[in-house]
Amino acid sequence: MRVNSHDPERQEVLSRRAVLFGGGLSLVFTAIAGRLYQLQIIDHDKYVKLALDNQFNKRVLTPLRGEIVDRFGKSLASNRNNFRLLFVPDQTRNAASALKEISKYISLPEDRQDRILREIKRRGPYTPIEIESNLSWDEFSRINYELPYLPGVLPDVGETRDYPFGPAAAFVVGYVGAVTEADLDAPSNKGQETLLRQPGFKVGREGLERTYDKDLRGKAGEMEVKVNAYGRVIEELTDQATPPQQGATLALTIDVELQVAAMRALEGESAAAVVLDVQTGDVLVLASTPSFDPNAFNVGISPELWKSLNENPYKPLLNKPLSAVYPPGSTFKTISAIAAQVSGVKPSFKVNCPGRLWYGNRFFHCWRHEGHGVLDMRGAIKHSCDVYFYTLAESLDVDVIADVARKLGLGQTFELGIPGQKKGVIPDRQWKREYYGGTPNATWFQGETLSVVIGQGSVTATPLQLAVQAARIATGVEVRPRIVRVWGDKELPAPTATPIDLNPSYFDVVRAGMDAVVNESGGTAGRARMADPAWRLAGKTGTSQVYQISNEDRAKGLTKPEDLPWARRDHALFICFAPVDNPRYACAVVVEHGIGGAKMAAPKAQQIMTAVTQKNPSAMTPFDPRAVANNPTAERRG
Amino acid sequence: MAAIILSSRRKGLREKLSQLHWPLIVMLTLIALAGVATLYSAAGGSWQPWAMKHGLRFAVSVVMMIGIGLVSMRYWVSLAYPIYFVALGALALVPLIGEVNMGAQRWIEVGGMQFQPSELMKIGLVLGLARYYQGLRAEQVSHILHLIPPLLMIGAPVGLVFIQPDLGTAMLLGATGVIMVFLAGLSWRIGFLGLLGAVGAGYSAYRFEFLKPYQVERILTFLNPDRDPLGQGYHLLQSKIGLGSGGLEGKGYMMGTQSQLKFLPEMQTDFIFTIFGEEFGFIGAMALLLLYLTVILTGINIALRAKTHFARMTAMGVVATFSLYVLINTGMVMGLFPVVGVPLPLVSYGGTVMVTIMAGFGLVMSAHMSREQEALGRLS
Repeated sequence: MRVNSHDPERQEVLSRRAVLFGGGLSLVFTAIAGRLYQLQIIDHDKYVKLALDNQFNKRVLTPLRGEIVDRFGKSLASNRNNFRLLFVPDQTRNAASALKEISKYISLPEDRQDRILREIKRRGPYTPIEIESNLSWDEFSRINYELPYLPGVLPDVGETRDYPFGPAAAFVVGYVGAVTEADLDAPSNKGQETLLRQPGFKVGREGLERTYDKDLRGKAGEMEVKVNAYGRVIEELTDQATPPQQGATLALTIDVELQVAAMRALEGESAAAVVLDVQTGDVLVLASTPSFDPNAFNVGISPELWKSLNENPYKPLLNKPLSAVYPPGSTFKTISAIAAQVSGVKPSFKVNCPGRLWYGNRFFHCWRHEGHGVLDMRGAIKHSCDVYFYTLAESLDVDVIADVARKLGLGQTFELGIPGQKKGVIPDRQWKREYYGGTPNATWFQGETLSVVIGQGSVTATPLQLAVQAARIATGVEVRPRIVRVWGDKELPAPTATPIDLNPSYFDVVRAGMDAVVNESGGTAGRARMADPAWRLAGKTGTSQVYQISNEDRAKGLTKPEDLPWARRDHALFICFAPVDNPRYACAVVVEHGIGGAKMAAPKAQQIMTAVTQKNPSAMTPFDPRAVANNPTAERRG
Repeated sequence: MAAIILSSRRKGLREKLSQLHWPLIVMLTLIALAGVATLYSAAGGSWQPWAMKHGLRFAVSVVMMIGIGLVSMRYWVSLAYPIYFVALGALALVPLIGEVNMGAQRWIEVGGMQFQPSELMKIGLVLGLARYYQGLRAEQVSHILHLIPPLLMIGAPVGLVFIQPDLGTAMLLGATGVIMVFLAGLSWRIGFLGLLGAVGAGYSAYRFEFLKPYQVERILTFLNPDRDPLGQGYHLLQSKIGLGSGGLEGKGYMMGTQSQLKFLPEMQTDFIFTIFGEEFGFIGAMALLLLYLTVILTGINIALRAKTHFARMTAMGVVATFSLYVLINTGMVMGLFPVVGVPLPLVSYGGTVMVTIMAGFGLVMSAHMSREQEALGRLS
């Protein structure tokens, strides 16, 4: 070493600088200590809160969906246990082999396993994944028994919608379905997104489930859970939870026993039936056949079932009482009779029916080709004589007919809460101008009125409208149908009996005629006569043409409607009310392509009305869910 | 090595052992035990996978440190340049034969063992600079011609480490080198001008927007890939939550929610101080910091009493490296410095850093022994 290692100046500089360095370091340490003091002492509370926010997550507790019950508290839509299997991949060594093991106990095809494995990859190992739901109790208990040998499996009991009466009430209640992106974006669901995102959460898709979805949904509860950084739940803090509130109970006017009876009466046909309490407007029966099982939609409908429902010519998915329209046929003669009186025709006005009437350039035939002879208005209704009404039509203004028809409930929808109601068509001059705007057909031809008076031509109505028509004829009051009596703490106001804006005396001849239709010999619907004279029934048949048998058809030997293919046969209709002198119930039945109102519709209406009058539900106290809510010990089922 | 130890001065091993600076060894052991305890807690109350290994590594490292300490400073003087250039050569080989790990080339294989040349360089640079200044008189230090060699000696390894890329180690090496030049007696004027120049260059780069913000972001992410994977300073926030929620007395051993629930990232390495602070609170964290400060001041004290300029410079260089580790790491987990990925020495899990640090303290120990030898020599 060249340089003296004992260079005193060098050592002095180093010593000074080393002390300086040590002092500087101590200063930096003081700064770090200061920072530590700030974090751990001054801002302690803030960071404690942040640490708690880290560990504790709010978990939404899904509320039970409100029940839908019938007039006497019988459940039409409730909730049942949904036995399902969740799978936590984190608790297994190998998710794929664990799934294979599970597939020994429940049906879990390979493509489904692949889909689950892909989902695991997407959502991470700590998120439970639903691998199967709606297991039978047998399957569920077997899995529970084998649980020690099935790593990762987490059996869970959830809730799912249940429709105890299945197809019988499908069109009233509707069904629920899985939440879609459109639901999450809907402005009406603002603030409810978290609830809607809960696994297995359902929203109303059809019927009352859809209209009253908000009321039925209930209020979500909250529970804090302790989670780790990966979102895995370490602990549930149940004592601080706010419980969810079940949705409101909907109490309906429907009597499910009668509903089932009506469905049975219509079984095998493509048909609809509506029964009303004429004093309140309560819809007691809203039947449509064939129907479908809403439980199938809830669980997730198979493509095969969906296809067969859609392709069935009997249209099981169509809510026929509300959403299907039919030419009302001769049931419309009740309206024509009143319209004639409005125009100054007296019920005593007589017409001789020779079986046909020449008008314009052709004959209009009566259904009875040999003719009815001389009839007054009552007789014309009793026998459903076409020529009588053709004769009236020659001098009737179609606008007057349309006005009466609307006053009796046709050509309009009602506030029922069930979506998809059709208005039907009540033709008048204005309708024709709008419908055929600009073409020569835009003006009304009197010949068309001849079709309208017998309920043909452009006239269409829904079975519900026909039932309302029967109820209004029976009472002379603006009966308004209703189906939801009570929802939550709200209740429909008592119906107001507003008289129809027509001279009440005009109804007398119609009621007398309808009475004769059923109860006098020679009436068209003797088959609808009630066994119990206390429930004497008045009605009117209708047979509405779907297809006119042509000369070519006759040449081929097709003369009777039975020879036609089903879809070309006439519709069969019947409207009625009972008892005649103090009406309580009204009913309308439509059997699609049933050929004859008297033969097909009237007996079914009689069958339904017999069930209704035997039970006489309007005389019984209806169920009030609010009474149950206030008094938990009260009997729930009526 | 054993031969060198035994042959030196014909003194008994037992006598030499008694002359070791045992308080320093005890303090280092206390720090390492804090590391073992914290790693045990970080694993949810388990010796695996970190605590056991950490303890064993420290035991081996202590033996190594004592071995290095027993080697006389005379040998280290002659080994200083060779060690520096071996380290530099190995660093230069990294881009050619290095292993790519987490987006950076840091490792090379020697005889089937993985080895990180940048760690060897931490010792090599200290020894090399100490050796260089051993040959300079005080008035020569600030001479421009005598400034070029140390700047090259610092610049070359810093550049090589920077391109690996390992920003943290490059900064650590550069800062250690600059501190040693300052300790050697660089005139305040030149030091001030140099500092001014560096700040000016950095400011103008920022001011005239040579780099757009996103480019700065990209470069930083490139240099340190695990800097902030979740964005928005997630790591740092979780660390501050951990420390802050610990409060004065801490949440108790193995009770830290941030660590036990795994909200802390990299908790066994860079963020271990957070676990310690969360579970033992301000009191515990301050105790650990004071322990570190005491080790540093003890090291300075040893350096000041060492016999040769080389020994003094070497000990000071080791102390500087150690101090930088402690300050950068603790400053980082508290949000005082950017997250650059520097471990807390002897506490963080990781073998290579522990070996480097303990080897450094071996040199400090050797400097301490050189003083003892001198004193004893005078007495006899």
